[in-house]
Amino acid sequence: MAGAGGGNDIQWCFSQVKGAVDDDVAEADIISTVEFNHSGELLATGDKGGRVVIFQQEQENKIQSHSRGEYNVYSTFQSHEPEFDYLKSLEIEEKINKIRWLPQKNAAQFLLSTNDKTIKLWKISERDKRPEGYNLKEEDGRYRDPTTVTTLRVPVFRPMDLMVEASPRRIFANAHTYHINSISINSDYETYLSADDLRINLWHLEITDRSFNIVDIKPANMEELTEVITAAEFHPNSCNTFVYSSSKGTIRLCDMRASALCDRHSKLFEEPEDPSNRSFFSEIISSISDVKFSHSGRYMMTRDYLSVKIWDLNMENRPVETYQVHEYLRSKLCSLYENDCIFDKFECCWNGSDSVVMTGSYNNFFRMFDRNTKRDITLEASRENNKPRTVLKPRKVCASGKRKKDEISVDSLDFNKKILHTAWHPKENIIAVATTNNLYIFQDKGN
Amino acid sequence: MLGKGGKRKFDEHEDGLEGKIVSPADGPSRVSYTLQRQTIFNISLMKLYNHRPLTEPSLQKTVLINNMLRRIQEELKQEGNLRPPFTPSSQPSDSLSDSYREAPPAFTHLTPPSAHPCDLGSTTPLEACLTPASLLEADDDTFCTLQAVQPAASTRLSAPALPPEKDSFSSALDEIEELCPTSTSTEAAAVAPDSSKGTPGESRIQKSEGPQEGRTDDSRLLDSLPGNFEITTSTGFLTDLTLDDILFADIDTSMYDFDPCTSASGTASKMAPVSADDLLKTLAPYSSQPVAPSQPFKMDLTELDHIMEVLVGS
Repeated sequence: MAGAGGGNDIQWCFSQVKGAVDDDVAEADIISTVEFNHSGELLATGDKGGRVVIFQQEQENKIQSHSRGEYNVYSTFQSHEPEFDYLKSLEIEEKINKIRWLPQKNAAQFLLSTNDKTIKLWKISERDKRPEGYNLKEEDGRYRDPTTVTTLRVPVFRPMDLMVEASPRRIFANAHTYHINSISINSDYETYLSADDLRINLWHLEITDRSFNIVDIKPANMEELTEVITAAEFHPNSCNTFVYSSSKGTIRLCDMRASALCDRHSKLFEEPEDPSNRSFFSEIISSISDVKFSHSGRYMMTRDYLSVKIWDLNMENRPVETYQVHEYLRSKLCSLYENDCIFDKFECCWNGSDSVVMTGSYNNFFRMFDRNTKRDITLEASRENNKPRTVLKPRKVCASGKRKKDEISVDSLDFNKKILHTAWHPKENIIAVATTNNLYIFQDKGN
Repeated sequence: MLGKGGKRKFDEHEDGLEGKIVSPADGPSRVSYTLQRQTIFNISLMKLYNHRPLTEPSLQKTVLINNMLRRIQEELKQEGNLRPPFTPSSQPSDSLSDSYREAPPAFTHLTPPSAHPCDLGSTTPLEACLTPASLLEADDDTFCTLQAVQPAASTRLSAPALPPEKDSFSSALDEIEELCPTSTSTEAAAVAPDSSKGTPGESRIQKSEGPQEGRTDDSRLLDSLPGNFEITTSTGFLTDLTLDDILFADIDTSMYDFDPCTSASGTASKMAPVSADDLLKTLAPYSSQPVAPSQPFKMDLTELDHIMEVLVGS
């Protein structure tokens, strides 16, 4: 397993790192979401300050270069601003919770970005030509005195420096009382869902003043509330199917054809609790922080605090695969409860062929599990491995007992360095891993 | 090993907490289980009520912590320790369940002070003290915040106190520091005197299980942790006061609504934060003459008089 592991003997190499170098992390720079677009050419990040930064991959000549193109800043814009809810005397954070790309239909790119309360549709378009040679206007825009015009000419488009403009095309507001945790674009590319703690709404991308509530788990008496929605996603192929996960470790699959309000699930995915692992924290660690369909649509993956589970949509009573992310934390749950780390929401992602899954951990470690070979690998995102094309060294955490050389003991893990957000290029072996305020891009060495 | 009077190191204690649930049937492990549960219970309450975010708190986190508290309460219930509500001489093991019963209204938007009064020393049934959340949640859009916490809950929780042992006090202080990092450590210092003054009339409420000496360190933990609630409560209450002031600027009757519990919490907030030295002073002489329960009220009356003078004078 030395060097290789985690997907057909891929050797992961450092490619780039984006973000500030210093250890002093500005709160606004904390990365809160990472997402590749459908082609993988664009990589978007959202941060706590409400900004979206989009990186574009350079189109290099694949014959001559060893690695794929680098990602460079393509566009930066302020997506959300902080707001104040005067009724409750509370701030509404501008932090970007999720970004989802729309498939490209024309020259422009579209993405949805959301904070706790408002979803926005952004259009990102390029401008690399401008008209020159007006008759009545100077080049700087001032109007010419018509009496000075002696000849006529036809304005022509001339190349200019590339300008990337982002403009908000739709703002979907005032539909969520609670905090939005997920948005998911339907395979019909016309509708999308947004989910908060208690409700899921269905929107049409063109219509901002109306949304349909399709799931509502709010009890009549809020004191009876024991479960919240933690994530939701549309099926990649069936436009009538979506799933949502809960804080109790269940996933419900719903069919919108069944009824207008999908409070009754079509399928309920839940694994019975392992009695030997019962503790005070069983419920909390079973809370699902992310759910992702496989590209094929046949499987879905869920991330709870300690593990990643792969479910076959045809089997509800247990997952088909379970991977332990950091089982060594099981004996530390009380401390992790106390310092709130137990509530950290880790995300997970599939590679393009659904053969490998990836998720983050603490100490800037991230893990990959190869579903075919059943091998797993732990890697670290750190500036120490900064040399491009250096293969990343696998890391190992020593749970207890004698610590071997190069192993790290559980007690020396830095729980402030957590990797919550990771993304995998839809077609190639390129991954984006977000530490607190840096974005790391790793690539497969052998191309 | 627990129960033999030996001083346990914090690390061992930590391990006991971290481990899986031990079957409640065993002897010493039963104690460890109870300790574990007690600590988790207090941590949970501290999380719920010691938090004044500028933004809305996470509903998921609140729900999970609430479920934890409920589960512990269920266990306590099942262990058959439910007794009639608090009286100064009663055995304390139900104090947690009693206090917890007040916790569920964490989801309510605003808990009016009228819900509090019965808890400081009366024997009114609990049900009469709880404010139905349905009355409080105005409409669908009311997001349930964690603001107003009944001070009674905190005063009850600060009750489980044991006679301090000065030789282990500093280690307990260290434990407090370790378990309550950064923001809470100063608050613990600041509020502990409030709690000890505010709950003097209550007896040494202890859990009936387990040897005393083995729990000394933890009990001091328990002392300081719940104490944090008071300040939070009062701050939350103050926020409401301020809102009232803004809305009804010419009719400032809020200061004159004399309500023992309201006043108690209001007073507590006016106390200046104290240093660790004061913490030492207040915790050390715990066995000495307890402060009369009416003292907070007396102080409040003084405050009212003062305010009256100011107003009349101007």
